[in-house]
Amino acid sequence: MYPFWEGILIHSTLYVAINSAFHVLVSHLTVAAAWFNLYIERRAVRENREELYEYLKRSALGLLVFAYVFGALAGVGIWQTTTAANPRGISTLIHNFVFFWGAEWHMFLIDVIGIMAYYYTFGRVSRQTHLRLAWILALGSTGTLAIIVGILSFKLTPGLWLETGNSLNGFFNPTFWPQISMRFYFMFVITAAWVLFVATGLPKGFFEREKIIRYASGIGLIGLAGGVLVWLLMFEPALPQHARAILPSRAIPWPTFEIIYFGLAATFLGLLFAFIAPNRQRRVFALAAMAVMYGAIFGAERTREVLRKPDVIAGYISSNQLVFNDLPARQVQSEEKRLAETGMLGNLPFVPAREQIAIDPQVAFGSDKPEVAVGRVMAIQQCGSCHSVSHQTELNIAGVALDLRSQAKLLQMRGLSTVDEIDAYLGAIQGFPYMHPFVGTLEERRALAEYLAAFVQDSFPANAAQIKR
Amino acid sequence: MDSSMTVGEMLKMMRDPLGAPFFPPVFQVLLVVTWVLHIFFVTLALGTSAFSIYAFWRRPDERVLQLGRLAARLTPNALGLGIVTGIAPLLFVQTIYDPLWYASNALTGFWSVAFIFVVAGGYSLAYFFYLKGSQDRRLLFTAVASFMLLFFAGWIMHVLHGVSIRPEHWREWYAPGGVIDTRGVIFHAYNIPRLVFLLPLQAGLSLAVVLQFSAWYLRQRGDAPAFLNWVAELGRKLAVVVSPLYALAGLVWALTEGPEFGVAWVAAPLTALGIALLGYFIWLRNQPQRGPLSVLIWLLGLLVVAVVREALRAASLARFGYTIANYPYHLDWGSVIVFAVTTVVGVAIITYLALVIYQSQASRDGQVSLRVERLGRIATGMLGAWFGFFLLVGLYTLLVLR
Repeated sequence: MYPFWEGILIHSTLYVAINSAFHVLVSHLTVAAAWFNLYIERRAVRENREELYEYLKRSALGLLVFAYVFGALAGVGIWQTTTAANPRGISTLIHNFVFFWGAEWHMFLIDVIGIMAYYYTFGRVSRQTHLRLAWILALGSTGTLAIIVGILSFKLTPGLWLETGNSLNGFFNPTFWPQISMRFYFMFVITAAWVLFVATGLPKGFFEREKIIRYASGIGLIGLAGGVLVWLLMFEPALPQHARAILPSRAIPWPTFEIIYFGLAATFLGLLFAFIAPNRQRRVFALAAMAVMYGAIFGAERTREVLRKPDVIAGYISSNQLVFNDLPARQVQSEEKRLAETGMLGNLPFVPAREQIAIDPQVAFGSDKPEVAVGRVMAIQQCGSCHSVSHQTELNIAGVALDLRSQAKLLQMRGLSTVDEIDAYLGAIQGFPYMHPFVGTLEERRALAEYLAAFVQDSFPANAAQIKR
Repeated sequence: MDSSMTVGEMLKMMRDPLGAPFFPPVFQVLLVVTWVLHIFFVTLALGTSAFSIYAFWRRPDERVLQLGRLAARLTPNALGLGIVTGIAPLLFVQTIYDPLWYASNALTGFWSVAFIFVVAGGYSLAYFFYLKGSQDRRLLFTAVASFMLLFFAGWIMHVLHGVSIRPEHWREWYAPGGVIDTRGVIFHAYNIPRLVFLLPLQAGLSLAVVLQFSAWYLRQRGDAPAFLNWVAELGRKLAVVVSPLYALAGLVWALTEGPEFGVAWVAAPLTALGIALLGYFIWLRNQPQRGPLSVLIWLLGLLVVAVVREALRAASLARFGYTIANYPYHLDWGSVIVFAVTTVVGVAIITYLALVIYQSQASRDGQVSLRVERLGRIATGMLGAWFGFFLLVGLYTLLVLR
């Protein structure tokens, strides 16, 4: 329905993933840091411990400069990257939840102005006033979390929205409560790394340094245990059958789970070390912890997204950015049904008609066959949202390939390189739980097979030579 | 690409089938109004950034340096507010102008994504310069790099908007000569007079009014009156110089873009605005206490610009039968109520926070009045109660809305 941006160097959706994982790290950090700061400040006021304000001031400055700056930017980055990578998906979310996002925006304004007020009033306003600001930050940031989780979780489990079309049904969906619980617990783990970072910057011998580290690591350990328990007892049981089928499949590539398990284990050991030996902590440990967490978050969030494949909104809109089911409650009709009959070419704004497609060997692996040029158009529309469909997004760094499930590689892995083989494969592609049926006419599917065969043969010339022999 | 589908048919097909969750003209008004705040803070950040560079490049004049340090401190904070206030118009433009915004971002995908990294770079350097360089006149290159990055970010947004209001060209830009280009690297549309009007000249005016506002605000803290008078006058003179250029740029913008969409008449409000501002700032001579009025006048001026911008967009799309009045909608009271309740709470809290910042910085002892504290207690209670409301809505949804 829209122009397609495949990406440069890496696939467009990898920009989404890299940016989003960073945003999750920072945003979760700030929510729990707000609660931790509140806890410390309450102790400071109740027990009259002036020295705790030194930690709070440093934490606030760090949050103001780092978390609220880069976290906010990464949040806007999610808008930019998702809009460029899958506009129809984000459009569905906006047209359902724009007022929820507006509500989140209020909470976010409270956060941003709140942290400015919190930092710039240290030592100026009364302790009671400052404590109130801490409360506002904690509550406001939690409000942003509560609202965004409703929107995020809707994608995997739209719940009754698929029947009623009511945004409240979509928001308070089956995985909303498990997801918000799990994130609430895990965010204290991330914040423990932040506290470690700030506290290790306090002067050596600073009176409360070790105590603060111990509080945070203890709370972090509870958060880690809580988050894992919520996953096992609430979240995983609430996953739809389709998602459960994908969990063990190759749609989640190695070493995603290994990174997540390693991250959990390393985090547990790190928190335990910090709790037992707070006097031995260094800033570099905190940075290492955040790097490990970033990796684990990347793996976990990517898994969450992949569980939904091939859909962008489960049961409603697919990764090819087409509505595939009717939604009678909102008078929405399936777009795929129509296009399966008429064919794709010339029937969507940015899918040109056959006679409008020009041949350019430079983008067709050297081929000047008209069918390959047509097949390229089909590949972009049908496959491009989830796959690298050309060499444009196949960055290779020191032997590590950063393509996104390159179709050439996947087909080559399955021993498919001729047009007939690939065409037959495409005809049965819906046999995989994470793949969507081909949409279009048999001629269009054949053209796609021509393009993919050229892609495979260009990527693996040895195979092509064997075929020629 | 020369499809048989007309541009009007294309736009209609691209519109999200779910429709808007409320009356579409409401989103249009919200879009225009919230853009005013966004552009004010963004151009203020550009203006203070430019001034801090100027201040530190000059020969050391203690007044200029002192103001330069203040400007360096303001830049990252203004930018932060600019980013936050940019989210609101972003939400609303996606709701009623989804074909435009999404098409332009997909067509310019690389720069759309690069925007975030560019702003992050500019923001980081602005903070770095403020924290590490501005006290001792060091690291000026970080301020220069910051300014360049922020200006480039403004350029990207300018292009995204320019592409968005020219749907008749999208298909040819997407597939020039019949070959689809998925790289998203080309700047397909821009208008230099418009860019000059909206960015550097508005930066000058935003800076000018904030200089005046700062002079008024800091006076209450008891800062040196001679310095503050100088600051206010500097702001006024800056505005007197920029305003006629603003009028001229507005005229050229209107005459280069207006006829394209059949609305050359926008030259009148844009030129009149520049002239009216000139008249105001000339009248303001020897009145250093008018800071808040200057800000208000400027915000009203930005509202005029926002309306003109919207008129250009509406006129462009009307050529193809796309109007906000015809945008499909479906009243979604659940989300409207959630938004309305959160707005009430949000306004109360933000008012309290703004008053705390204002009162704490505007007096020597930094104390906040009892009335403001009372507001704080009530507002904080409301924020806590919001969670109760949220849970109740959740329970209602689970148990009743089936």
